[in-house]
Amino acid sequence: MAYTVQDRSPVFLDRDSPLRPDLTLVVAYLVLAAIGLLMVYSATAPGLSARGLDPTAELKEQAIFVVIGFIVFGVASSIDLMELKGFVGPIYAISIGLLLVVLTPLGDSEGIAQRWIDLGPIQFQPSEFAKLAVILMLASLLAGAAVPLTWQTTLRAVVFVAVPAFLIFSQPDLGTMLVFGFVLLVMLFVGGATLRQLGFLALVGVIGTVGLFQLNQIDEYQINRLTAFLDPASNELSLSYNQVQSEIAIGSGGLFGKGLFEGSQTNLQFVPVQASDFIFTAVGEQFGFVGGAIVIALFGVILFRLLVTARSARSRFSYLVVTGIAAMFAFHIFVNIGMTIRLMPVTGLPLPFMSSGGTVFVAMSAALGLAHSAWIRRNMTLAERPSEL
Amino acid sequence: MNSTMRLGVVGIVFFALLGLLTLRLWTMQIGEVEAYEERALSNQSRVVATPAPRGDIYDRNGVKLAGTRSALAVVVDLLLVEEEERELLARNLAAFLDTPASEILDQFANDSQGGRVTVAEDISEVDATLIVEHREEFPGVSVIPQPVRTYPEAELAAHVIGYIGRPNEEDLEREDVKPTDVVGKAGVERSYDALLRGSEGAIEYRVDAKRKVLSLAGETVPQAGGSLVLTLDSALQEQLQDSLRDGLVQARRLEMRERADSLVERSRSERIADALAEAQEAALARFDEATGSTTTTTTTAEPGQDDDDVPAPPEEVTVDPLTVLGSLYPGLPIDDDGICVPTQRVTVAEGESGVLSGIEPRFLKVESIDTLDDDLVATVRIGTDRYTVSDNDSFAGTLQVLVVTEDEVIVYHRDRWCPVRSVGVVLDPNDGSVLAMGSYPSYDPSVFVGGISQTDFASLGTASALQNFAVQGLYAPASTFKAVPYVLALEESYYPLDRGVGDKEVGDEAPAEEESPDSAADSSAADSEGSNGDSETTDAAEEAEEPQPLLSDTDEYSCSGEFKFRLSDGTVQTKRDWKWPQGHGPLDLHGALQASCDLYFWDMALRLWDERNDETGVDKENLLQEYSRSLGFGTATGIDLPFERDGLVPDRAWFREEQRAETGRVRPDGPWVGGDLMDIAVGQGAMLSTPLQLANGYAAMVNGGTVWQPRVVDQIVDTDGEVVDEYPRVPLQQVDLDPRTVRMLRQDLQQVVNNAERGTARAAFADFGPNVEIVGGKTGTGEVIKAPRTEAFRQVDNAFFVGVAPINSPDYVVSIVVERGGSGGRVAAPVARQVLQYLVNGPEGVTELAPGLDAD
Repeated sequence: MAYTVQDRSPVFLDRDSPLRPDLTLVVAYLVLAAIGLLMVYSATAPGLSARGLDPTAELKEQAIFVVIGFIVFGVASSIDLMELKGFVGPIYAISIGLLLVVLTPLGDSEGIAQRWIDLGPIQFQPSEFAKLAVILMLASLLAGAAVPLTWQTTLRAVVFVAVPAFLIFSQPDLGTMLVFGFVLLVMLFVGGATLRQLGFLALVGVIGTVGLFQLNQIDEYQINRLTAFLDPASNELSLSYNQVQSEIAIGSGGLFGKGLFEGSQTNLQFVPVQASDFIFTAVGEQFGFVGGAIVIALFGVILFRLLVTARSARSRFSYLVVTGIAAMFAFHIFVNIGMTIRLMPVTGLPLPFMSSGGTVFVAMSAALGLAHSAWIRRNMTLAERPSEL
Repeated sequence: MNSTMRLGVVGIVFFALLGLLTLRLWTMQIGEVEAYEERALSNQSRVVATPAPRGDIYDRNGVKLAGTRSALAVVVDLLLVEEEERELLARNLAAFLDTPASEILDQFANDSQGGRVTVAEDISEVDATLIVEHREEFPGVSVIPQPVRTYPEAELAAHVIGYIGRPNEEDLEREDVKPTDVVGKAGVERSYDALLRGSEGAIEYRVDAKRKVLSLAGETVPQAGGSLVLTLDSALQEQLQDSLRDGLVQARRLEMRERADSLVERSRSERIADALAEAQEAALARFDEATGSTTTTTTTAEPGQDDDDVPAPPEEVTVDPLTVLGSLYPGLPIDDDGICVPTQRVTVAEGESGVLSGIEPRFLKVESIDTLDDDLVATVRIGTDRYTVSDNDSFAGTLQVLVVTEDEVIVYHRDRWCPVRSVGVVLDPNDGSVLAMGSYPSYDPSVFVGGISQTDFASLGTASALQNFAVQGLYAPASTFKAVPYVLALEESYYPLDRGVGDKEVGDEAPAEEESPDSAADSSAADSEGSNGDSETTDAAEEAEEPQPLLSDTDEYSCSGEFKFRLSDGTVQTKRDWKWPQGHGPLDLHGALQASCDLYFWDMALRLWDERNDETGVDKENLLQEYSRSLGFGTATGIDLPFERDGLVPDRAWFREEQRAETGRVRPDGPWVGGDLMDIAVGQGAMLSTPLQLANGYAAMVNGGTVWQPRVVDQIVDTDGEVVDEYPRVPLQQVDLDPRTVRMLRQDLQQVVNNAERGTARAAFADFGPNVEIVGGKTGTGEVIKAPRTEAFRQVDNAFFVGVAPINSPDYVVSIVVERGGSGGRVAAPVARQVLQYLVNGPEGVTELAPGLDAD
């Protein structure tokens, strides 16, 4: 895998280099990360200074993770997916192991949910990496399967997803579980599942969810979040308080927004956890419809580039990995932004590249890096390009 | 489907989702932006109301009757106090303010003032300084000036001024009233509440999500309420209130004296025998009713005529001497001066004894309180008698249980014969201005400022001291009302038939007496509604001359003192002038008014009745009612005071409606009869009027026919004393009275006071002093209760007097009522006399109160 270092300019700008990066994707990623940092600052500075703390504290912390994320993106971009394929099994096993650790006393709980592993100064959220591990595992399984998929393969895929999903559900994190479901459906679809299989799975999913409700296996706070979504006015001050305040913030932003640092809802901290789950609220209030639409468009660019990458992937494994990653992003984006504008219930899924939170940014960057790697290496071995299904 | 196509499908799904997000953003941020902006704004501001000082109230001479002073209140801003700190703060405050910490914590918990809790009102300046200096021990506590209502003249004109308090549910329906406000509850405080309150100011703060104040966003200065200048003259008001109080005390003393006399006069055994006879009669009547027997009374039913199948009275009649005697005068409640009180509240805890005051005090012992079928039942003992009672039970003759609680019993000890209250109004007949008004017992409005204690409120409630009976009290105006048929007579040249000393044939629609001869011994149906006379039936008809109509006001009428009806079955019933059964002899219209001759006006009513038209129920039948209504009776005057009552001028239509609706206010069977009209002519029966209506009706009759709308507020002034509004003088109606009628009425009213022979008020005005000749008036005595005779042999009457002065060009009309006070000439006229002395001869001219003569 040798390449020539050009004299005139860095490799990524060389139009002819086989390793030329996907500039559009990278720019969209960097811009989103930058906007994210700005928003984290605007959302946290007033609260911090009101408490007499350094208003840039949160920004600085997030910036460190962003830098780490950039590095991880670069590293991931340089990993050949085909080489990674051999390690899928261990990666999957390790992530399951980590999920189990969360359920032990080592796990640190925040709020009601227990999702963290406390590693001293760094807190680590294994479920973020479990998503990536599951995508790799599914891709590995489906890449080697005959098309159309047999019922046996489909069911194996379900089992691969079900194990970590069950562990995450016990944490409990309904949002992440739903991500698994969505990713599974999309990957099975592009992996060659029949519509009948997909329909059956969808049916099982619905029955399963209803069953969980019936058996009281879903915690009350999860049900409350969902029902509060349906009637936010009924408990404005409790459950859906966030959502109502977020909706007010965004709605009052208007076309161009109230301007940076001028958002009253944001500045006066009417929206709790705004820097993490409700970061889009800060965009909507301060930059209005225009700002919100630009952010959505940037995500659109990333999703588009990922689908193009998937189409041009040199192997069926890469094709499936990239599609899976795209599906994960798409679901996160839709559910998170949808939550801030009361289109979706509150589930706690972060907005990729923008929400504050170290693990999330690093994990998302790693995922994007892997997909990007597939783009860089799309032409390496034409023979390995995905065959017609 | 190849992989590209499948990716395409996935792409379409992804972008559809992103499109959905964009669309929703668009509708929110472009379509509904204004609604969201509003919500965002209201999110960030916190408005703290600053109260406006309530407007003052002055009398016509500028005497301040209600004002406002600035007091210091301790307010806790809960948003500035962390949850953990609250208990400590409450304890600090409790130690300082001398209130239990638990109470302060309760206030914190039940905060309804948006985070600002007033824990103390009206603290001293020293205390305020201490709080401010120890700020660190009182986080979130501030001392702020707060307007507090003052009533410098205390009880003076309390019923006109009213009082203030926290709003109830009804008050809260008003747009500008919040639960923390103070609103007028009675008097002009209530009727002019919106004006007096002004508009409160507001301080708007910018707050963050924790409602913590960030900065001042704006301030609206409160607008002080307008001040009222009343038509009252506070010096006159004071005289009226003094006279009302003294008059009531005098009436009670008279009552006590009569009791003492009757105790001496009637021996114990006599009274028991009387009671036994009454009880036997009642038992017989019940027996008759039960067996359907047509025997009339014991006096007419001969034993020999009784058929064998009519069983003997089934019950052995006995009376309990204790209920007859033990509960009578010696045991009735008295005050410290030994004077009767109408109602006394006695609260006795379980296992304890309470004193029932009286000439012979008794002890009420609550032996036990038990639960019986979820109800609390108390076993109480008085002397050797044991009673088991629960809420609202009456027992031992004069006692009624108010409530039985788990550990105590509250009873009312009532004296139904004790004069209840006195009411008075002084009006200017030239424009309807109220110069003085009130009733006694009264109250000091200051007790309501800052909240009134349960006990205080209960004792005011027991005496109905809060109600302004001048506009809320309804009374049958009795003989004072005779001025109305008097005016009718002169205006219509309509006079009674003179029957000589004979009986009067009444047509087929005889007075109600005929309807139930069985109960005649008790009292006739019409009578029990309070007709002004005794009546009885006799078998024999007496011969009579042919009645001749009188042709003028000076034609004489023969007043025999006995009024006889021939009923349709041939029997004749006699109604007597109960105050003057011996008769007044021959007198004309003027004499009839001066001497208050019932018969003259009865006969007038009967003549009106005879000229009725049964088909339509109109013609002359309603003429008297029409005169009454045009003079303001039967409808609230619309005075600028709350809770005014309408009164009632009964007629056939009203009677039928009441019967149909079975309200129990009229006899259940039989038609509207001539007797009912006779009752109205002498202000009895169902006729009802407020003391104000009575004064206002007289004002119209003596001023030439203008019915003014009475008013207590003359002007509205702002804080600088500038007049901003003037209450208009509103003529409600103009009755075209012949000047001669007015002149005659004034003359005759003057005679009531001045005529040495027959004026019913002459005795009460005997020591009026100079200028008595320019004073006129009319007495009235209204029968209120025909008490069951097993309990009492006393007549209880309302005493009335309406005075007018100066008689030839009246500037004052005085209306006085002493409820259950006795006769008008004896009890009410002296009260009015003092007020009129004050008006005519000045404060020095007022002489000692003394009872007048017992006269109707």
